Amino acid sequence: MRTGAAAGHVGYYHEALTYASDAELLAVVVPFLSGGVAEGEPTIVALGEQHAELVRAELPPEVAGRVEFHPGGDMYARPASAIRSYREMLAGHTAGGAGQIRIIGELPPAELGATWDWWARYESAINHSYDEFPLWSMCAYDTRVTPAHVLADVARTHPRTARPGDEHAPNADYVVPGEFLGRHTPVALDPLQLTPPAVDLQDPAAAETRAAIARLNERGILSRRQLGDLQLAITEVVTNGLTHGTPPVTVRCWAGADRIVTTVTDRGRGPKDPFAGLQAAAHAPNGGFGLWLAHQLCDHVAMTRDEDGFTLRLISGDPYHRVGEA
Amino acid sequence: MRQSGVVTDVRRLGPHDHVCCGFDDRTEFRTAALAFLDAGLGLGHRVWYVGESGDGVHDALTGARPGAVQLVSVATQYAADATVAPNERVETYATATRNALAAGFTGLRVATDVTAMVRTPARLDAFARYEHQADQLMARSPFSAMCAYDRRVLGPDLLTQLATMHPLTTEAASFQLHASGRLDCAAAISGELDLASAELLALALDRAELRPTGGELVLDATELTFIDRRSLAMLAEHARALGATLVLCTDQHVPHRLTQVLAWDNVRIDAAS
Repeated sequence: MRTGAAAGHVGYYHEALTYASDAELLAVVVPFLSGGVAEGEPTIVALGEQHAELVRAELPPEVAGRVEFHPGGDMYARPASAIRSYREMLAGHTAGGAGQIRIIGELPPAELGATWDWWARYESAINHSYDEFPLWSMCAYDTRVTPAHVLADVARTHPRTARPGDEHAPNADYVVPGEFLGRHTPVALDPLQLTPPAVDLQDPAAAETRAAIARLNERGILSRRQLGDLQLAITEVVTNGLTHGTPPVTVRCWAGADRIVTTVTDRGRGPKDPFAGLQAAAHAPNGGFGLWLAHQLCDHVAMTRDEDGFTLRLISGDPYHRVGEA
Repeated sequence: MRQSGVVTDVRRLGPHDHVCCGFDDRTEFRTAALAFLDAGLGLGHRVWYVGESGDGVHDALTGARPGAVQLVSVATQYAADATVAPNERVETYATATRNALAAGFTGLRVATDVTAMVRTPARLDAFARYEHQADQLMARSPFSAMCAYDRRVLGPDLLTQLATMHPLTTEAASFQLHASGRLDCAAAISGELDLASAELLALALDRAELRPTGGELVLDATELTFIDRRSLAMLAEHARALGATLVLCTDQHVPHRLTQVLAWDNVRIDAAS
């Protein structure tokens, strides 16, 4: 049975929580969590350490003891992994008979920068990906530190905004995931992309690409495991490009002190499925599977479409560089 | 551990090694065969040259003891117009190895040009199957062999098919399916597997005729440096068709990662040791 603001709602009740002070954050979160505990619902906090402690200190001990605290940073390493972990967790609670699950989460502050684009896609996609579960969740954004374009995406990806005083207002700017994900907003370049690529291959075999990346990494930019992950991702992506894309397929790589940036471009329009990359199987039976693997194995994946075709950019290592802030 | 991969110097091979050796002319073949057999004499093995007396191989070798170097006629080993009968051939070499040991040698080493055995598609298929059965014998007893193939006759594609059935090869091969030195493994798979090797992998799996034990198809993947999702799915499907769970024994990161990220209901990755 659904309770609180989500009473009577079917599926995912997804709210933004945009706040400008700790007091404002607590004024929404404390009643939200207390209500969940009072109703006997699985009640979960996935906030960063600082905010988790703030909330814990404000909750009555008997409430705090029944709230599950998850380290937010672990949950939000990569969007595709977050969707997978949350779906597993939600399926478990639902199978256990939960009538509703409540979650308050926030992204680590770094994710509101150069990597925001894939988190914006996440925020939109989960309206669909979590909709089979009786979930009521709030995503917290501090308006004092969140860039304006990020807040604009938050309004487009959350059907509602929660405010103190048990207020749950619809967002006029909200757009359904299929539309939001189909928009393809340009992605900021990594500064390395302004320099000549160290590797530039036309229609390469996957093995050739793996070997080129291994040579780039001879000075140990990535750990052996990171290198293996990137080689696995690039193999799936290049194989996709060769089997589903429109030739020629061009692979370019750049090496920085702390990262390897790889782009794969073909002349096509990219995957038709707007959810490609974020969720496996159901949405991506064929070509999209490699894209989904890449989303789990790289530190950032961006997709762009322009007059040259479709470009997938993979970053392994530090993904937080972008032109203008290098 | 048995050696696997591309080999450049056949002199350095050990008592369980099995090498696919391509050659472009008789001189290249003779040089390789002599080097391989001479190294075998150095290891105290009995060596067999399976060929003809006019080939100039066996008479160029000097054994320390009588019976160390033997010329075996091709006709007695491989009827030139017949498809190989794998079990019979393997049994012949098992007996010959036992005889060599009984005569005080440390093992048996054989070199032969088997190009004639693979001249038709049917014979090539039968011989590739035999190569794997013979390789299982080599992994388990001190029997080592050089299978030489004429590149001019076979061409690169057929030669690669045969190279993938040997642990060692002088030819380019992206992967190899061969017997493991680990007797708890049905076979070993080495090298790199991806879409480019998919057809060859299907052929090799069919020809190796692997047998699961206790509901598990256990493969030694210690030297499997790369495997993509499709190839792992292919191995899993092969195991499933045999009614078994696929078990890869390896410390390589990529197979571990693939099974961590994707849910496979009949795949397990075990540590190499």
